[in-house]
Amino acid sequence: MRHPADISGESRRLDALAPKLMGMAGGVGLLGLIISVALAFMTEDGVRRAYHAYMVNFCYFLSISLGGLFFTLIQHLSRAGWSVVVRRLSEAVGANTLVMLVLFIPILLGMHHLFPWTSAELLQNDPVLQWKQPYLNAPFFLIRCAVYFGVWCGLSYFLLKRSLDQDASRDPKITLSMERMSAPGLIAFAITLTFASFDFLMSRDYHWFSTIFGVYFFAGSFLSFMAILPVILLFLKSNGRLRHAVSAEHYHDIGKLLFAMNVFWAYIAFSQFMLIWYANLPEETGWYHRRITGDWLNLSYALLFGHFIIPFLGLIGRVSKRRLRLLTPWAVWVLAMHWLDLYWLAMPEYWLRVEGAPVGTIPFSLLDLSTFLGIGGIWVAVLALWLRDHSLIPEGDPRLAESLAFENA
Amino acid sequence: MHDHTAKPQTKAEPSTRVFAVLAEFPSGDEMLEAARKVRDAGYTKWDTHSPYPVHGIDEAMGIRRTILPTIVFVCGLTGALTGLALQWWTSSVYYPVIVSGKPMFSLPANIPIIFELTVLFSAFGAVFGMFALNGLPSLYHGIFNSGRFNSRMSTDRFYISIEAADPKFNRDSARKLLESIGGQSVEVVEERAAVEFPPMLRKWGITALLVLGAFALLPPLYTLRARTRTSEVTRMQLIWDMDQQPRFRAQMKNPLFADGRAMRPQVPGTVARGEAFADDHLHRGLVDGRFAATNALPVTESLLQRGRKKFDIYCAQCHGLDGLGQGMISVRAERLQEGTWVPPLSLHDEVVRTREDGHIFNTITNGIRTMPPYGDQIRVEDRWAIVAYVRALQRSQNATLEDVPSDRRGELP
Ligand code: HEC
Repeated sequence: MRHPADISGESRRLDALAPKLMGMAGGVGLLGLIISVALAFMTEDGVRRAYHAYMVNFCYFLSISLGGLFFTLIQHLSRAGWSVVVRRLSEAVGANTLVMLVLFIPILLGMHHLFPWTSAELLQNDPVLQWKQPYLNAPFFLIRCAVYFGVWCGLSYFLLKRSLDQDASRDPKITLSMERMSAPGLIAFAITLTFASFDFLMSRDYHWFSTIFGVYFFAGSFLSFMAILPVILLFLKSNGRLRHAVSAEHYHDIGKLLFAMNVFWAYIAFSQFMLIWYANLPEETGWYHRRITGDWLNLSYALLFGHFIIPFLGLIGRVSKRRLRLLTPWAVWVLAMHWLDLYWLAMPEYWLRVEGAPVGTIPFSLLDLSTFLGIGGIWVAVLALWLRDHSLIPEGDPRLAESLAFENA
Repeated sequence: MHDHTAKPQTKAEPSTRVFAVLAEFPSGDEMLEAARKVRDAGYTKWDTHSPYPVHGIDEAMGIRRTILPTIVFVCGLTGALTGLALQWWTSSVYYPVIVSGKPMFSLPANIPIIFELTVLFSAFGAVFGMFALNGLPSLYHGIFNSGRFNSRMSTDRFYISIEAADPKFNRDSARKLLESIGGQSVEVVEERAAVEFPPMLRKWGITALLVLGAFALLPPLYTLRARTRTSEVTRMQLIWDMDQQPRFRAQMKNPLFADGRAMRPQVPGTVARGEAFADDHLHRGLVDGRFAATNALPVTESLLQRGRKKFDIYCAQCHGLDGLGQGMISVRAERLQEGTWVPPLSLHDEVVRTREDGHIFNTITNGIRTMPPYGDQIRVEDRWAIVAYVRALQRSQNATLEDVPSDRRGELP
């Protein structure tokens, strides 16, 4: 058992690291966005392509932020003790939904590129679209988005703010208020995340529908948060922060969740696939057909092996969960696969309803990278901003001692 | 320390032997500390006992990590392979059937069962493996011969026992060690050298077992007897509800209905059993016991149109829209080369052309050789419509100049 005395001496603040991080990440972010804009106007069909790349990366970082929010909610809801030392990080990641709100503006500007259902011409000629029009129309879409971001930003800001308050006041009542908020919060979270995934990703081919789609997006979302956590921890540790507070016992649990969510993702992905494959109904198979045509088939196989089988074998052992230096490479691998997954979700529709499109080819572009750096840089910079003036762990949490002494049986 | 630690609590009888030396500790932490020392003293057959799990006990006792995860992994793998092999063998070797046009051995369809068996086998591996590693179920443990242990162990005391089975065991040195590391109430636990029953119990016990065993044979014997004979007596009813259901009999009252009658009058248009299908020609395609040569319905244009519609729905997937036998199912089955597929006969084959209308009707109704029956899916009238349409199809492939109206023959190439 470790004693609090060992750990009080460690550094638990970003201090000088914060401005450095904000400057560097913010710089990379701005540069990425500028390059993206330049590329968009310089290449053929660049604007449409840029919006698609932006969409992929927007959803990528949105999913990580939502994963953070979910993690915080579920810890409060289950009154978890073990996770207190990493909860500040999840609170900050969750609060990044606020920056996602700002980064959402370009999506609105590019709606007619991203969502074919906005086209009046299609609406006139497509009975399916007419049928769905009461839901799929721009004003209602905007209202829904307002609700989504309202719920996410409200919840995550509340959870971060109250927790920061507690650092100073050490008032256990704050913990109670956060726990109380988490139950309805989780319901609101589930509903908004599900519909957001319908709206942002599924509606891109508005003929297609899959009721499990929200769960699929959620699986990737929680998974990606569990994957970014070890990365953040390794970064902090190698910069001398949180040397003792977060221990192998915590990595072990983070690793277990990472492993579990990876399997959960595969379970959901297969559930969605198998029913559609078996029933073989034309209105459902089209979406998968696009993803097994030409090069996309290779990408689908890459997901099957890279997103499930390989990390499954890699993470099943105990050792790879308990050593941060072994866990983190797997986490990075999973993060990369999650990116590929979102690419696979969003990009095949790039060719949809395009005359003479080279169906079956993957439209990789430099824009994918530049928008990734753009959004990612800003995301990291804002993350550092939340943590700049505060401790990296919730100092006032009544369960902190329990978390510090935590041991897997 | 109490003075009664000095003398053993259990009375030594000639037929007893030492099971272990037991020491009590007031707290988990103290027990943990002491356990480290016992470990370092080199004992191997010893144990700690506590009312709740104590963190760090594995390390303190020097217990190696369990091999349970490996057992579970191997079991899971076995489950996966079993699931795969089971489905491969049943659905593509032992009883090959094409289901919804999928290949007989197709992984996606097999994954759920593979998954279930993986989970099942892993769970079995975990539970039974744990039992086995813990030596469970165990009906006897010598430690329970200590009265003090029995009364305090599961409430508020912690114990360390060094068993006599340990190769290093020596009653005095074990006791000294335990006392020196803070053990209280150190006692030598004795157990009976041999398990023996009182003679009375043995005699009556055996008799009782024999009698019970004989009684247990009665039900199976009775069943056996009942199965080999007939009887006038109503059979034995174990579950009465199935035979004695509350029900309405003829002429009884039933308040549920406005007219109060339990017997319901027939719905208008009801046809008595057998009466509906009296028409042999219409319902069986037979005239005087032979296949009818003609259609049972008047052949009109609308009948033909209906026949085309139904043919395209029910027959074309195998026979093809043109009746030549190149339907989607047929083409795919041939491509899969599954071996069990018999291609459908061309409807323009001489054999089919010379069949009576009634024969084709019968083919649709009851199926023929490898073709499945469609009688319960297609209404009688529609079946005749299909027959008429098949005739039209056949004629279209074997048309003569006379079939073309004379005023349009000039359009022919
Ligand atoms: C599942 C595929 C399938 C469907 C659907 C099907 N058939 Fe067949 N049919 C066959 C096969 C196979 C044969 C050949 C059977 C054999 O030779 O063992 C056959 C043979 C026949 C024959 C020739 C039988 C004879 O020897 O006189 C007729 C006539 C026929 N089918 C009519 C129909 C009609 C009409 C329908 C639609 C109601 C229909 N079939 C639907 C598979 C099918």
